Amino acid sequence: MELILAIFIGLLYASGVYLILRRSIVKVILGVFVLSNATNLIIFLSGGIKRSGAGFIPAGAEKVDPATISDPLPQALILTAIVIGLGIAAYILALKYRYFEITETHDLDQLSKTDQK
Amino acid sequence: MILLPAPIVLPFVFIILALLVKSSKAKSILSIAFSILNLAIAGIILFQVNEVDMIKSQMGSWPAPFGITLIADRFSAFMLFMSALVFIAVTIYSVQSIDKERIKNNYFLFTFGILMGVNGSFLAGDIFNLYVWFEVMLMGSFILISFGGERIQLEGAIKYLILNLISSFFFVAGIGILYGKMGSLNMADLAQKFAFTGSFPSLFEPAMVLFVVGFAIKGALFPFFFWLPASYHTPPPAVSALFAGLLTKVGIYSLIRIYTLFLFHFDYFWNPIILWLGILSMVIGVITATSQFDFRKVLSFHIISQVGYVVIGLAFYTISGLAAAIFFLGHNMISKTNAFMVAGWVHRERKTLNMKVLGEMFNKNTLWGVLFFISAFSLAGLPPLSGFAGKYLIIKAGIESDHIFVALIALFVGLFTLFSMTKIWIEVFWKNNPTENAAENNTKALPHGLMLTGSIILALSIIAMGIWAAPIVEFCEKAAADLLNTQKYINFVLK
Repeated sequence: MELILAIFIGLLYASGVYLILRRSIVKVILGVFVLSNATNLIIFLSGGIKRSGAGFIPAGAEKVDPATISDPLPQALILTAIVIGLGIAAYILALKYRYFEITETHDLDQLSKTDQK
Repeated sequence: MILLPAPIVLPFVFIILALLVKSSKAKSILSIAFSILNLAIAGIILFQVNEVDMIKSQMGSWPAPFGITLIADRFSAFMLFMSALVFIAVTIYSVQSIDKERIKNNYFLFTFGILMGVNGSFLAGDIFNLYVWFEVMLMGSFILISFGGERIQLEGAIKYLILNLISSFFFVAGIGILYGKMGSLNMADLAQKFAFTGSFPSLFEPAMVLFVVGFAIKGALFPFFFWLPASYHTPPPAVSALFAGLLTKVGIYSLIRIYTLFLFHFDYFWNPIILWLGILSMVIGVITATSQFDFRKVLSFHIISQVGYVVIGLAFYTISGLAAAIFFLGHNMISKTNAFMVAGWVHRERKTLNMKVLGEMFNKNTLWGVLFFISAFSLAGLPPLSGFAGKYLIIKAGIESDHIFVALIALFVGLFTLFSMTKIWIEVFWKNNPTENAAENNTKALPHGLMLTGSIILALSIIAMGIWAAPIVEFCEKAAADLLNTQKYINFVLK
């Protein structure tokens, strides 16, 4: 399972990088979303994958074998990362919309006013 | 200690209050009051830390490796204080410099958002917490850089945003991998585990590579700096002044923190890399700066060059080298912000910062000319200003640690800095006005009393930091000694 997930993350990174290198701003933004999700999956994978081992200690149990439960911390971290990602996604889309209103272009090559001459 | 979360809580309280207050005048007064309060708290923390070396606070009273730790040692207290100083000056400056429309639309809410993120990053003792404060800071800066929505601003914002997000992904991916290997997020706990394992089986510890790349992007080091000069000249001048003073410095702060906690175990691998990153940033930043013809772009490229100085100070990895790096960071925050503030005044008077059409600003207002003189020649490193002490310390530390070649390069870069500062001085303040528009020169000056106050606060700090350099350097040396003594940090957090 870990191997499959690792390969999947690799594929996500590859497609994210591919999208970021495109000329259209919309595709670059989509690439950012893909990269952000790939990164979240890395954190998920880092806690170790366990089938049906909820991250709780049963009521009344004094000791619990750590091998039987999954690590709840990475899940909490991903939750934080997802919420941050959501806020940024909303902002970046609004920014793109405003930029499109002003310039009526999707082309990154038009962003040359701030470049070094 | 109970006061330690205050630098984070205070901006948050302001953000809530600012939403309730309607008139823009009340907003301005409230923001100045809160930034003074922030400076007072930072001062108290600095004073306390100087007495007892380190203070910490466990959020929710969970013991150290499990709960979130806030910790202030001398280095973070110093950074807190300097950023509070920069922030208060920028706030006073903004009240007049930023247009009414933006202040009405809660401009100050976002500057305080940045302050919250910056203060949080300086206090964080937990690596994921550090990431969260980075994001808080970035969110505020994303909004400020596009605030107002002019075309050039949006362009700069898109570049700034995408590259900074990528650096965040590097950082989070590093955290994920590190947690998977070490099973901890508390920086002191991680440092202890690193010390136990001694060295990793593989030379390229991937998490550390990801951290360094992430922080190098945020700190605008050599191969990763392109977002900075592409975006810092686009927002209103007060915003660029704030960014120049605070944002890249947080990246460098984090780099120094992880170097002294983790990376020094793999010194043979990281030291040359950090050293060369610093040298190349220094040289390339200053050389590109000399070729620019936009006031703020020259200063933006200089940020890269100055950050290089701090990083070579870190790479020497001696007490004097680190002390020089800390001193230089503080000096750079105030000098750079002040230079950007003067650029803001020029922009307000002439509506442009293209040096080819500017001129005779010294006749327009002598005091602003003097203020630019102070900050520019402090950046160039002339005595008795703070930059002289900073550069002297860096070069001395380089010679002491047998990096004569690096010290020589630093000297040369100082010469180029002086050259490009003189270029601004001649082009903007001295030469005859090329537009020959007599009417333009005789227009009545716009009100700039508060802008002047903000700038004078920083100019006085620059002079004070230069004249009273000795006690500050002594403080920085103690801070550096604490940074080098990793075991002390670990024991303090985990005990």
